[in-house]
Amino acid sequence: MAMKIRDKRRLTPNQVIGQTILTIILVLFTVFCFAPVVLTFISAFTDEITLVQNGFSFWPAKWSMDGMNSVLRYGNKLITSYGVTLFVTIFGTFLGLLVMSMYAYSISRRDFKLSKFLSVFLLIPMLFNGGQLSGYMVFTNYYGLKDSLFALILPLCISTMNVIILRTYIANSIPYELMEAAKIDGAGDYRTFFQITLPLLKPSLAAVGFMMATAYWNDWQNAFLYITSEDKLPLQMLLVKIQKSIEFLLNNANVPASVRASMGDAIPQYSSTMATVIVVTGPIMIVYPFFQKYFIKGLTVGSVKG
Amino acid sequence: MKNFCNNLWRNRAHIVMALPGFLILFLIMYVPMAGLVMAFKDFDYAKGIFASPWSQPFYKNIMFLVQSQKTFLNITKNTVLYYLLFTAVGTVLNVTLAILIDQMRAKRAAKIMQTLMIIPVFISYAAVQFIVYAFIAKDTGLINNALGANYSFYSKAAYWPVILTIVKIWKDTGYGSVLYMSVLAGIDTSLYEAADIDGANKFQQIRHITIPSLIPMITVMLLLSVGNVMRSDTGLFYQITRNSGILYSTTQVIDSYVLNQILKSSNFGFPAAASLFQSIVGLLLMLFANFMVRKIAPENALF
Repeated sequence: MAMKIRDKRRLTPNQVIGQTILTIILVLFTVFCFAPVVLTFISAFTDEITLVQNGFSFWPAKWSMDGMNSVLRYGNKLITSYGVTLFVTIFGTFLGLLVMSMYAYSISRRDFKLSKFLSVFLLIPMLFNGGQLSGYMVFTNYYGLKDSLFALILPLCISTMNVIILRTYIANSIPYELMEAAKIDGAGDYRTFFQITLPLLKPSLAAVGFMMATAYWNDWQNAFLYITSEDKLPLQMLLVKIQKSIEFLLNNANVPASVRASMGDAIPQYSSTMATVIVVTGPIMIVYPFFQKYFIKGLTVGSVKG
Repeated sequence: MKNFCNNLWRNRAHIVMALPGFLILFLIMYVPMAGLVMAFKDFDYAKGIFASPWSQPFYKNIMFLVQSQKTFLNITKNTVLYYLLFTAVGTVLNVTLAILIDQMRAKRAAKIMQTLMIIPVFISYAAVQFIVYAFIAKDTGLINNALGANYSFYSKAAYWPVILTIVKIWKDTGYGSVLYMSVLAGIDTSLYEAADIDGANKFQQIRHITIPSLIPMITVMLLLSVGNVMRSDTGLFYQITRNSGILYSTTQVIDSYVLNQILKSSNFGFPAAASLFQSIVGLLLMLFANFMVRKIAPENALF
């Protein structure tokens, strides 16, 4: 049998056609995913009157900075919300990563008799869950977390899936012998974890940490449920508040003109709403490309079995 | 026993390290599980879940569910149908996209496109709803403008299964394919080379090498999702629909219903019973699915 191994760099005509079709499909899907983001940017810089008259457009007749300016007019409120969101995101992510990686390390120890029990303890919440109503009652009634930033931090700081990802990474990518050798060389358990395991766990920590940070950054539901005072409102609540006033007008079609007038600024304008979306979402977009390389490497779930 | 205690003492550092995670899990996951007894109580906020009196008869709240057939059936039906729709469409698209990207020879271009496709997953639903509005608004929306039409999407429930599915695909497909890509990256390339030599074309290679190697990951992801049949992406159903009452018949799911009830802090009997129902059905389905997988392909079972 005469075998001909193809030159890898030279494509056959069939392959050229195949690659072209493939590229077209992927470009179309990319446009589908990214065009709405582009539209958001353009709308934020579109003149409000043009927007109302001509509708949303990728090529507006008139540009304007008014939308952005009106967001900046939130002033102190915006700075406070940024502060709250930054604090919750950074504190929550670091707390979660530390707690979860220590847990993952403990259950990955082979000679630790409790590791089986701790794995099951970790997995049960995936099967059975109290749900949001019960969670809300327990948080407000017994933990006294109504209007507390901890009500934003605790619910997202540990998740079964993330611990499994970290544990799988420890099991598959960090040689057990290396950790054993460190112990034989006289490093204590804590030192082995902090100086050997943790540094090697970095790709997985980066991937999980970034996903956690986004979850914290984007969390509106917990703030909606728990936070009441103005100085603890995270960024997403700026958007939820705009939505609430729209909802109010929508569900009460015959609100008298006097009430509408008294709502004043609360009646949102399109361009400033889109500008708010950018101010709220922007930081993640900027940080994301730096973490992307860790995704494929650090997010391998592999075997979930305990 | 002595052996066991010795082992614990030797591993005391590991106990200390697991302790914070153990405590947090206990507080945020396990205590709310016990809180589900609320379904059998006449809940009184001042007394809290556990001190509230038992309802008479104890299944009073459950009866609410049965009696208010319309609401309960509607939210359950929506929850289950959207789960099935999203899981089916999502899995097919995630796997397809992963394979397509993997087949691209221009790796750099593929990488850039993938980066752009993942972006939507990082936009919160609170923000996404305004972007959706830009497309489907009645007078100013892009779609109505482009078609020269005047569809009133926000007042007709029938459109929403389609709208929500498109939003879901837009938001999650790029990111959803990442997990499958990590599996594809791990396939031994010599398998493809051997198939090439044997004269298998691209489609045959995908069918006989690529897809079989994705099956374990697909099984695991499906199994993990089965327990969430009764739970939904609350943001999708609450924010994107603007919580609009006219659309409830096709958009309200159990989670968004319960969220509404908490915010109204009205009678908690019905939502408590619905929550219990959610949790128990989730548990049973998860156990059943795992049982089935154990029968068919034991190596892919979760436990």
